[in-house]
This record gives sequence, structure tokens and C-alpha cells, in this order.
Amino acid sequence: MFRIAPLSEAFASPVTTGLVAAVAIVLLLATLAIALVSATGRASPALRHELWVRLGSWLLLLPMMILPVLAGRAWTILAVTILGILCLREFARATGLFRQPVVVAMVVAGLLAENFAALDHWYGFFVALPSLTICLIAVVSIPQDHPDSYIERTGLGVFAFMLFGSGLAHLGYLANDANYRPIVLMLLLCVALNDVLAFTCGKLIGGRKLLPVTSPGKTISGAVGALVLNTPIIAAIAHVTFAGTPMDRWPLLLFLGALVSAAAQAGDLVLSSMKRDLGIKDMGTAIPGHGGILDRYNSLLIVAPAVFHLLAYINGVGLDQPTRLLTGP
Amino acid sequence: MKEWQLRPARDFGLPFAERLKSHRREPGLLGISSHAIWLAAVRAYLALFHRLDITGREHIPANAPFVMIGNHTSHLDALSLSAALPRRLGVNAAALAAGNVFFGNVAAAMFAATALNALPIWREETTPEDLAFLRQRLADDGMIFILFPEGTRARDGVMKRFRAGIGAFVAGTDIPVVPCHLTGAHACWPAQRSLPRPGKLSLRIGPPITVTDIANDMHGWREVAQRAEAAVRALAPAPSPGPAGDRQHG
Repeated sequence: MFRIAPLSEAFASPVTTGLVAAVAIVLLLATLAIALVSATGRASPALRHELWVRLGSWLLLLPMMILPVLAGRAWTILAVTILGILCLREFARATGLFRQPVVVAMVVAGLLAENFAALDHWYGFFVALPSLTICLIAVVSIPQDHPDSYIERTGLGVFAFMLFGSGLAHLGYLANDANYRPIVLMLLLCVALNDVLAFTCGKLIGGRKLLPVTSPGKTISGAVGALVLNTPIIAAIAHVTFAGTPMDRWPLLLFLGALVSAAAQAGDLVLSSMKRDLGIKDMGTAIPGHGGILDRYNSLLIVAPAVFHLLAYINGVGLDQPTRLLTGP
Repeated sequence: MKEWQLRPARDFGLPFAERLKSHRREPGLLGISSHAIWLAAVRAYLALFHRLDITGREHIPANAPFVMIGNHTSHLDALSLSAALPRRLGVNAAALAAGNVFFGNVAAAMFAATALNALPIWREETTPEDLAFLRQRLADDGMIFILFPEGTRARDGVMKRFRAGIGAFVAGTDIPVVPCHLTGAHACWPAQRSLPRPGKLSLRIGPPITVTDIANDMHGWREVAQRAEAAVRALAPAPSPGPAGDRQHG
């Protein structure tokens, strides 16, 4: 199950090759640009340091995102599981949920079960787990006989499970599709690109703030710019990825592009709302130059289930692949 | 309607290595689990190799916060005191441990932080602010501090005078101080030995003392230390000689 795919299999789709090559080229250009800025002394020492730190983080993060996808189905699901646990940890420590270990343990159990269902390729269990886990989270802390803050800890537990357990696990479940590599890579990279486009459009165009109290840095021009620019990029990549399938129709492809961009921004705003509510700047210190894991991967929390169910409705996900790999007869 | 009280971890935002050594460190699911596993292993070890017998368990308060203190001749002391706590309370316990011994490098700090749930006391560097913060955490977080007011393991096995620092945590509060006396630890694992040898351990737990009436200042801290020392000496099975020139306590 945890075999590493040969290169011919990993790069079977030209989209995969194209996306990985694009990432390599962008990283190379970014390195050269920062080196140039540093050599000519055009940036202050603090800005130079910041740029190198951010680039260094990307040089580690991108292989950590891309390699499991290339390596195989099980590696992808394992990487998503680890990402979910790291996100949960940051959320629990930021909100204080970690002081309720029984609730956290149930969220972890639900998260592991969701990713197990993905690994097993057992869709029935995968979609049954959210309601079952929510019931268990609601019940698990009752025997403590401590009703004070019951709604708070249960609410936080359910919220955490839906985002990092159920929501994120959809990204891993996509790996059950025979053609998963270009789809997952497209999501990972286009979500990151969406941040860059929103930031760049916002800086270049400026104008009114999107939601100034929730996120003072975001502008309407940034949000619209990212949507307008990223939608055709995603639609074009998806056109090649889904060639010959029911998904390969331009209205659908453009809808997919808009959905990814809008959901990515929604994920960003979910995290901004959390941070504003908590009065904190970053969710952690795990990624130098970026903040916490959640500060980097917030968008995927909303993008993963949104895109999964669109694809499942139009094309189906992994319908031609064997199911119940671990639990089946 | 009650407002939600979202309270980030006290150690929120601290880098990993710094967090291990921080007085602000709060364990999560992983820390609590590893601490509980460690406590179970310690209980089994003490029962198997040291036939630890504990008397006076009924004196342990039903709820935290409280402080457990004892005589200090060996690393077995902290293990025995933590093993005496009911499982329900064990996860709230933090041993106040010598920073240079238990937090000297990252590997040691990881063990001390996750398994022992220890908080470091740096002999020369712990400031009055640190002590005040620990005092606040003890009360606010409902913790159990396990500490040895002699400050270091007695190399000759003879109980030394208690230092005033204990008073900084409890003087003027109603937080109980539970006196304990462990016999046999020096013979099994003195400071001079790198590993313990099997041998009988006996732990006596006395009735808690409270120092609500004592001022939270240096004078009061010394008084707390004297009362605590007397309570621990009173539990010694045989007269235990005090420091040179000191009279023997019963």
C-alpha cells in the first residue's frame, strides 16, 4: 500500500509534469530575484532577511506538499492526516480546547477514522463519520459531570473536527481517483497562487477594504483580482486534466476555477475571523516567515470539500478503483 | 447569556525549544498522555523494585491546587511522591526540578517536559517574577507542585534546612502544603550513583498544613519554610539529625 510510485507513473499526466516544472521555475526565478535584490542593495537588510526566510520555507514546504502526491495514494492520505493533526493542534492551543483532553481525543479519533476511511476507499464510512463523530463529541465529556462550559467545549470540538477532520480528509480521499495527481497538485498550487494573486492585485490596485474589521489587509480589488485571474488558470489546467470526462465543459471548468478561488478566500477569512476573535496575529510559529501551519493551509479547509463534492457529482471520484481495500472481504 | 472564554495556551507562540523550558508550558493531549504513561510505568517500577509502601494517603486533598513537599536525597523522591497521587490528580502534577539537571539540553528538556511534566528552577537565575508567576499558576490552573525545599539532594542522606522559596508559592493563601517523608531512597539511589539499585522505600504522608495567616514576604516565606520543615521532620520514622548545631526534631 505504501509503495513509492515509479517516475513513469508519478508523471503519467502531462499536467503533473507541467505543474512540477512550473513550481521549479518559479522557485528558481524567486531565488534569482531575491539574490539580485540582495546583491544590488535595493532592499533593506530586514526585508532581505524576510524574503530569504520566506523563500527558505517555500523550498521546504513545496517538496513536502508535492512529493507525497507524486509518491502515491497512501502517502498523499498520510500527508493529509499529518497536516490535519498539526492544524488541530494549533487550533486547540489557540482556542484553549486543548484543556479538554477528552474532547480533543475524540476529535483526533474522528480525524484518524476519516483518513482511514479514505485509505480504505470506503465512501459509506467516510460520509457516515461526520454525524457519528459529532454525536460522540457531544457525549464524550458528559461523564465528567462538569456541565460548566459544556456547550463551549463541544462546539469547539465539532468545529475543529469539521474543519481539520472531515473537511481536510476530502483532499486525501481525492487520491482514490486514478487521475488524482494533477487534481490534487492543481488544488495545492492554485490555492497558494490565489494568495499571491490576491496580495499582488491588492497592492497594485488598492482601494476599499474587503472586511476591514476581520482582515485589515485584504482589499476588494485583491479578492476580485484573484478570482478573475485564477479562474481561467484553473479552468485551463482542469481542461487538460479532465479531458474526455463530463467535467470537460467550459461552463463547468470556469465554475470549478471560480469555486476554488472563492473557497480559498473563504478559508482565509475563516482563519482571519478566528484570529481576530482570539486577538492573535498568527496561529503559531511552525513556518518561519508565514506563522503557523494554519496560516499557510487555511484555504484548503474549505476548498477540499467544496471541490471534492463538485467532482464527485459531475465525474465521480475513484469509481473505477477497488474499494474497501483494508476492511473488505 | 454567558460569554465564551477562549483562552489561548499560556505558552502560545513560543518556539519549541523555548516552550519546553518555559514556566508557561501547558500540556495538551500528547503531554497529558505521555505523563500518564510515565506515571503508570513509575508506579509499576516502584512496586516491583522498591516495594514502595505508602501510609497517610488519606491526607492528600481531594482537589488541586496543593503542594507536596518532602525530604530530598534521591531522584526517587519525586517519583515516589508523584506515584502516591491518585490517577485523577496525577496529570495535574508538576515537579519543580533543577533546570541545569533536567533542562540542560533539548533531549533532556523534552523528557522532563513531556514525561515528568517538570517545570525548571534555575538556581541562580530564577527571579522573584518567576516565583510570583508560578504562585499564580498554582492557584489559577489548579496545579499540584511537587517540590523539595532543601533545594538539592542531600549528599549524605541527612535532611537539611528548608529554603524560604517554598513560602513564595503558598504564603498568605489557603493552598494546602502536604508534608511527606521518604525513607530508603538514599540507600537505593544516592546522588553519587548514576543508576538506582533495588531496595525498600517507605513514604509517609502527613496532614496538610495551611499558611493563610503568614504574610507573603521574605519574613513570611522563612516562617513557612520552618513550619514545612517541622512537618516533614515529624514524619521521619526515627529522630533525624538536623544540620550541624541544630537540635534534633522528632
